Amino acid sequence: MIITKKFVYEPGEHEAEKASNSYLMSLIALIAALPLPIINLLATLFFYIGNRKGSFFVRWHCTQALLSQFSMLLINSVGFWWTISIIFTEEVLSSKFIAYIITVLLFNFTEFAATIYTAINTRKGVHVEWWFYGNLTNLICKN
Amino acid sequence: MKRVLFQGLVTITLFFAILFVLNQIDWMRILNVKHVSNTIDEKLGELYWDLFKESGEDIENITIKSALDSILTEICNSNFIDKSKIKLHILESNEVNAFALPDGHIVIYSGLILASESEAEFSGVLCHEIAHIELDHVMKKLVKEVGLSTLLSMTTGGNSGEILNETAKILSSSAYDRKLEREADAEAVKYLIKSEIDPEAFAMFLFRLRNSDLNSKLKELEWINTHPNIDERVKNIIKQRGENTVSYKSVLSDNTWAHVKEILKSF
Repeated sequence: MIITKKFVYEPGEHEAEKASNSYLMSLIALIAALPLPIINLLATLFFYIGNRKGSFFVRWHCTQALLSQFSMLLINSVGFWWTISIIFTEEVLSSKFIAYIITVLLFNFTEFAATIYTAINTRKGVHVEWWFYGNLTNLICKN
Repeated sequence: MKRVLFQGLVTITLFFAILFVLNQIDWMRILNVKHVSNTIDEKLGELYWDLFKESGEDIENITIKSALDSILTEICNSNFIDKSKIKLHILESNEVNAFALPDGHIVIYSGLILASESEAEFSGVLCHEIAHIELDHVMKKLVKEVGLSTLLSMTTGGNSGEILNETAKILSSSAYDRKLEREADAEAVKYLIKSEIDPEAFAMFLFRLRNSDLNSKLKELEWINTHPNIDERVKNIIKQRGENTVSYKSVLSDNTWAHVKEILKSF
């Protein structure tokens, strides 16, 4: 699911720190604004915009962090609004809802673990590519 | 590009596969959710009924109780409704009103029985309230009005007094939204037809009370005042009844119904 590769060049200390921060942004946002899934996306988006003219290594990892947040936003938003409708509307708690929330939690936990692992390794200058997002980033982000 | 598409497809498939597998499990039973919600229902039902029975005399007359119980039994048996979960209460009051509370409590004011010209008219209102219970409208409405957390705090005794009074007013004096009322009417007509009770009597009851409400503006006609769009409802009931060839019957004789009303007048 996660593979470490040799990057096209050896990233410097400053680049590694910035690239690692792109993943930390989503984690900090997750802790700060847990109930609103859009906050995670916004945090990584702002970090991406701030670094869009940065070095290739930084841009690449900002893009991977941002793309992963897009898909998490989709599944988390469904879970969020489903929960809201149960609390405030006529929607009732059901096995379907519980099954969905467990699935969402599984995916979030996987993404959370991958984010921490990547943040640590990127800080050391190691290039980490995720399943699907890594290849997608390679298509979008060019040197 | 092909690899990205393949990996994306695998990820999406994995998500839906996990969801599908988890969907096969009855989480409500495993996590005992139904039991918890039933306990909340029971507790709320008790709280509201305790409150309402203080507002008027709880009529325990055996003739009245057995007459209304016969109607309820007929409706429940004909529609495979578990009668033991319906708790029918008759309260002495001039108000023409009836309403459902959590945990299957139905409160009927004596004013409504006196305003019903036949047992079929009363059965229509009863079926409407049973429908609210069967379709889980009572809890849905409470959750919508005050929120689940407030309801939970009421069952645990926290800040319950004022909220209990306010929500009791909501349950007894304001109608459900139009969609829920329409659903309850449609379900009530089904119950009536299966019980071989003419739904036209229910429509006529609404129509008659609407007219007397227009003429008199009586405050006591609570059930009509709080259930708007009477014309539309009457039309829908008649439409759903259609040209039914079923022969309708009476659960009680006219004499028994008249006798019930006579006794009620003495209260």
